[in-house]
Amino acid sequence: MKGSAAVELAEATRAPSAGINRGISILDLILRIVALVCTLGSAIAMGTTNETLPFFTQFIRFRAEYNDLPTFTFFVAANAVVSGYLLLSLPISIFHIMRSGAQNSRILLIILDTSMLALLTAGASASAAIVYLAHNGNAKANWLSICQQFNSFCERISGSLIGSFGAVTVFILLILLSGMALSRR
Amino acid sequence: MRSGSGGHSTAIDVPEADGRSASSKGKLAPGMVAAAPLPSPAGWAKGVAIFDLIFRICAMVAALGAAAAMGTSQESLPFFTQFFQFQAQYDDIPTFQFFVVSMAIVAGYLLLSLPFSIVCIVRPRASGPRFLLLILDLIALTLATGAGGAAAAIVYLAHNGNANTNWLAICQQFGNFCQRISGAVVGSFLAVALLAMIVVLSGIALRGV
Repeated sequence: MKGSAAVELAEATRAPSAGINRGISILDLILRIVALVCTLGSAIAMGTTNETLPFFTQFIRFRAEYNDLPTFTFFVAANAVVSGYLLLSLPISIFHIMRSGAQNSRILLIILDTSMLALLTAGASASAAIVYLAHNGNAKANWLSICQQFNSFCERISGSLIGSFGAVTVFILLILLSGMALSRR
Repeated sequence: MRSGSGGHSTAIDVPEADGRSASSKGKLAPGMVAAAPLPSPAGWAKGVAIFDLIFRICAMVAALGAAAAMGTSQESLPFFTQFFQFQAQYDDIPTFQFFVVSMAIVAGYLLLSLPFSIVCIVRPRASGPRFLLLILDLIALTLATGAGGAAAAIVYLAHNGNANTNWLAICQQFGNFCQRISGAVVGSFLAVALLAMIVVLSGIALRGV
């Protein structure tokens, strides 16, 4: 009798902690889906840029698309890789909801999430630098701003950065949640 | 000596003659194999925390070196005309200003986080400071990666230019300046790699606590 009462007490104190762990895992899944939508949107928004000005001369180019600038190609590739990774990590996240005590798979997720965070941030910040140049140019290096002529292209590339930087914030929250779940197992 | 099994006990009597009883206490009876002691979770977290401290010092040196290399980059060409600029410094490009400031912030943060890291070594079971360090390390990682990525994009442009937007490569004239800024970007990516490993180590240490 005494033994079963002690076991029940131990289980009662463990139940709230398991409930919080489950809540953390559900939040992890929701954030992963949000980040997936953000990165996919960014990749598509940048990848479908194409603007042609209605006049032309023999020597000057009047067409802008994302692969004219290698940095934007890197941006589209990085966002595509990260959204593919997020899609593949959804089953692991669902597994964590069912088994809140899993530790090794959470460490695997932390390692992969950190790598994807670094890749995504590098792509987003490199594109931000080029977008800044496109808007403002640089007088000292004689680099002219191209946004004067290509308005719609400029708006598109600036908007696609928003989704990417939002996904960066979500990734930071994801890693923090994994760390929190690990420390209260 | 007795082995502690349930049913029968095998007692082996070790003769304690000639006054060597004190030394024979520590010896095993023949037939018993010494089991190597497994590392306790606290000791293993301590090893992880020591690696964390070493990586932190290396990352601080890398970040400080990158900021210094970019901040002191300046080159003047020995000729001039009335209209053109023939001096290049990091100030000329706002992205590089952002780079210097960010890497300086990251290096300063890493310096200030050394005491917290030492606390984590001394008290391997404390998860409070470890969690605080995880949050701040993530922010530092994002800031350093952002600065490094943006500067890398500009350095790529400086080396190669872009024919589609009529942006000319400036490395043709400013060779020394270009080498300096490329080296600074490499240093910042080294700091990024070390910071990523620090974040993963914090996660592993949180598991063992």
